[in-house]
Amino acid sequence: MDFTLSNEQRAWQMTARKFAEEEIRPLSLERDEIADPRETFDWEIIKKGSKLGFRTLAVPKEWGGHGTDFVTQALVMAELAKADSAISKTFSQCWKWSHLIAAACSEEQKRRFLKPFLEDDAFLLGKGISEPSAGSDNRLPPGDPKAGLKLKAERQGDHWILNGEKCFIANASVGKLFFIDARTDPNAPLRQGTTMFLVPRDTPGLRIGKVFNKSGWRFYQNGEMIFENARVPHANVVGAVNGSDMKSHAAGDRTGGDLFGDLELAANALGVCDDACAMALALARAKRQGGRALFEQQVIQLKLNKMHLLTEALRSFVMRVAWEHDHKVRSANAGLCMNFSTEVIQEVTEINLDLYANAGVLDRRAEKLVRDAIIWSHLAGDSVQRMKATRRLAN
Amino acid sequence: MYSLHLSPEQLQIRDTVRDFVARDIKPLALAPTRLEAPTRPLLVEALDKASHIGLRTLALSEGKSGAGADNLTCCIVTEELAVGDADIAAVLAHTSTLAGALFDSLMTPEQCARFLPAFLTEQRYHVALAEHEDGRDATLGVNYHRPQASEPPFSTAAVRTGDEWIIQGCKDRVVGASIAALFAVRATIGKGRATTLLVPRDAPGLTVMASENSQHWQHGACGSLIFDRCRVPAQNLLAADAALFSDHGRRIPQEQAITLGIGRAAYEAALDYAQLRVQGGRPLIEHQAIGAKLAEIAVRLEVARTAIWQAAWASDHPDAFTDGSLPDLPLTMITAVFASEAIYRAVKDAAECFGAMGVMRDMPLQKYVQDARICLHSGMGSSEAKLRIAEALARYRRPPSAAVLAAE
Repeated sequence: MDFTLSNEQRAWQMTARKFAEEEIRPLSLERDEIADPRETFDWEIIKKGSKLGFRTLAVPKEWGGHGTDFVTQALVMAELAKADSAISKTFSQCWKWSHLIAAACSEEQKRRFLKPFLEDDAFLLGKGISEPSAGSDNRLPPGDPKAGLKLKAERQGDHWILNGEKCFIANASVGKLFFIDARTDPNAPLRQGTTMFLVPRDTPGLRIGKVFNKSGWRFYQNGEMIFENARVPHANVVGAVNGSDMKSHAAGDRTGGDLFGDLELAANALGVCDDACAMALALARAKRQGGRALFEQQVIQLKLNKMHLLTEALRSFVMRVAWEHDHKVRSANAGLCMNFSTEVIQEVTEINLDLYANAGVLDRRAEKLVRDAIIWSHLAGDSVQRMKATRRLAN
Repeated sequence: MYSLHLSPEQLQIRDTVRDFVARDIKPLALAPTRLEAPTRPLLVEALDKASHIGLRTLALSEGKSGAGADNLTCCIVTEELAVGDADIAAVLAHTSTLAGALFDSLMTPEQCARFLPAFLTEQRYHVALAEHEDGRDATLGVNYHRPQASEPPFSTAAVRTGDEWIIQGCKDRVVGASIAALFAVRATIGKGRATTLLVPRDAPGLTVMASENSQHWQHGACGSLIFDRCRVPAQNLLAADAALFSDHGRRIPQEQAITLGIGRAAYEAALDYAQLRVQGGRPLIEHQAIGAKLAEIAVRLEVARTAIWQAAWASDHPDAFTDGSLPDLPLTMITAVFASEAIYRAVKDAAECFGAMGVMRDMPLQKYVQDARICLHSGMGSSEAKLRIAEALARYRRPPSAAVLAAE
């Protein structure tokens, strides 16, 4: 057991910490409180972060990226999330699909798409899976071909014609390239009848609908993507036709899970917990009651204890999963860690808010952290995500 | 003697209010444009309608032209109202309870004669209690089980000058402040003695400022009052005010009824959705995972309601404590701790059934989560309540001199 970070890992962590504290934190609350969900986004912070490498962190070195390991990625996500969970997620969303490009795209596709992605500080990636009538059915597909996503793709010569609608798609309103899952065999069950396409934002027939107005993670853009006879070249098919399960298989993830995505949510949660712990401790030291610091009270100490023990347990789990990913150790741990992060981030941010509210201190950031944490309920900790992780144990 | 049968009148008023909420409040309260807005102003037209059917004067005695409802009935009504809108429920509950206390027992006949006619004729005449002060450190905290004072004096002070009281100070978290016509203001007179003054909204020197719910963790169109040499007639001093403000532990559990109503709204939405939405080849409710979750939500709501009804009934029958029928405990405070925590959990679970739709601002579930979170932090909060319950368990009594000592 060696918990020491390498010099390179430590350097990335420090760069991320500095950027998060100096650049992200000052605008975090301000962006969160903008009423119009299309206006919460800020290109300047993305471009600044991109210049430091936070957009292209996960692209392999041979393709001109930084080729960082999973441990580094976990450290950086947590540091960025400490200042703003949603901004951290906007960056790491690009890593998620960089992993996919590296693992699943052909050499020709990499040349076509990775190069512009690397060169453009405002080039963001996204992936479209969810649809109005298909959420959980995409995560744990039943055998029925009628279940799951319905966006249709039909071959027409050298092109595919896409028709249908995606919703809640991350980076929809700001991304330049999307991986889109579409049904290419309506008579087959989801996993056997779906193909993944690389769809640039300027594809004719693709438009972006509404941007969803979430209660938390407000910087992060989730939008509708509407396909009306959208023409996508056959050369943009990722992997094989009817073989969209690429995301997990090609990445060498035999657990059926999302190799990076599960770690991503857990690492992000860790950063938010670190922020909440720091806030709570600062309050307990500074705020006085009856001439004594709140920290002196037993009930306050017990709350701080709960926050810190959960946060440190999550840190251990996150770093272990990152290490296991780097050493190609495959297990249900990433999924379990993601599930666990839901409980931890919600409990820790709620205790923090409770401490502030009980002390009669209004703190909009304490409330923001709780709103951000609620997002984990459906992304990381709902019953489907839990059963999915459990089923890996039995495989 | 033990009976949970509601009277025909109680059943009737519950059903009437339930219909009223479904017809006149929910469509307004859940309009996507309203849900999406950063602030949600009080639905005053719906509030007026509620007043018109007698909900503003529910607790006022029949002799004073009210409905004379007991605390249990008031809690049943408040729950129903909160299913529609927590702010409307809070404003009506506070006005009704406070009006009952003021007009039926605390005001002199002369005071009643001055204030009651307008209260009865004007549908938008609300009354509000101004007690909380920013920075008034009333929490037990470090003073738990210690002889120090737990109730420091109000910094809002009134001085008698001729035939007027001159009030100076600030109050916040005043439920219904944005609409109330008359305030019952807690203030210090003389040597740290707390008393209550009746202050009309148009009293010279009074400024009312509205504030957002999330800024003070309290439902009910709250606001702050600023008294700058505010003048009211000498006759506006309440002679008898002890009853209204004593024993938080056994008062009417109306805040908890609001929490319950919010929980029920979330539960009903989740139950409907779970029967409509098909994933995994079946309606959600036919999946064990969702079925068990809905059951857990129902368990929390039913247990909370049982506790609320018991506390409400107990506040109607204080003799049940003395004759040993009920445990000698602060039942309302106990109910508050349970209901706020259990229902916050239940509402979060209900929202989870909606997947991503559960976090969208234009959808109802995130409002219920936010509303339940306000309940979690409103009032004294669970931590403080637990310390107070603990002192009650130990029968701890502060030496009577403690409050006086702290005041000097």
